[in-house]
Amino acid sequence: MGGTTIILIFFTAMVAVLGLLTSMRPEFTAARGGKIMAFVALCILPVLSVWAGFHEQVERSTSTQFCLSCHVMDKFGKSLTVDDKSFVPAAHFQNNFVPRDHACFTCHTDYTMFGDYKAKWRGVHHVLVQYLGTIPKPEDIKLYTPYNNRECLHCHAGARSYEEASSHHKQPDMLAKAASNELSCTSSGCHDIIHNVGDLGDATFWTPTPEPK
Amino acid sequence: MPRLIERRIRWSGRLIAAGLVVQMLTLLATHPLAFICFALVGCPLVGAGIAIFLYSLVEHEAV
Repeated sequence: MGGTTIILIFFTAMVAVLGLLTSMRPEFTAARGGKIMAFVALCILPVLSVWAGFHEQVERSTSTQFCLSCHVMDKFGKSLTVDDKSFVPAAHFQNNFVPRDHACFTCHTDYTMFGDYKAKWRGVHHVLVQYLGTIPKPEDIKLYTPYNNRECLHCHAGARSYEEASSHHKQPDMLAKAASNELSCTSSGCHDIIHNVGDLGDATFWTPTPEPK
Repeated sequence: MPRLIERRIRWSGRLIAAGLVVQMLTLLATHPLAFICFALVGCPLVGAGIAIFLYSLVEHEAV
């Protein structure tokens, strides 16, 4: 548990106690000072606390730990450590091309609550299915919409290694087509080995070196 | 017998405290369920508490 979380829990506890104390002695609010105190305790501080809590929850929901906390995502997490650089997510994860603690969100920026209202509803639906529905096999989980090149290009666009790679000039206007999503990075036969969770049975896996303390 | 505004403030404080306790509990875990509980239980409880408090003020002033 990080320092920010401990401070936030402590702050929330203090505000809760203050709210409870005010509710136990509501007659104090008859005086002017009591009114001001009640307004701070029952309006300003709770709003601040919820705002801070919401910020913390949103930040957490971008973490790899959050995404992989559902059992059905285990294999997707495992695919990040497969010892085969042809697996695009694995190559990105193992070489720090994406931050490891925010790996999923870096390449799926429009997923669940970070997308439009439909995506937010899907996020709630995923939780409902996890606990009340029939959980699909990991192999059957697919994206709702084709993968958007934007997710690749927010890092690769403008990079010399991307723009000068000979494989990216096999056809005229390849880069322009990729930029306009006309040519998919992942499903045009180029970078098409993604999580491939159905193929992990015989795979070997890389173990990250623990960070020095 | 407590006045109406006092009863409302009492309920407001209880709801806010309950919502904040839920919020505290959800902060102990990094999990989608914690997020859902925060958004669908904690926030509405605190929101209802604040709304009751503000309503009690407005109505009290109007009387």
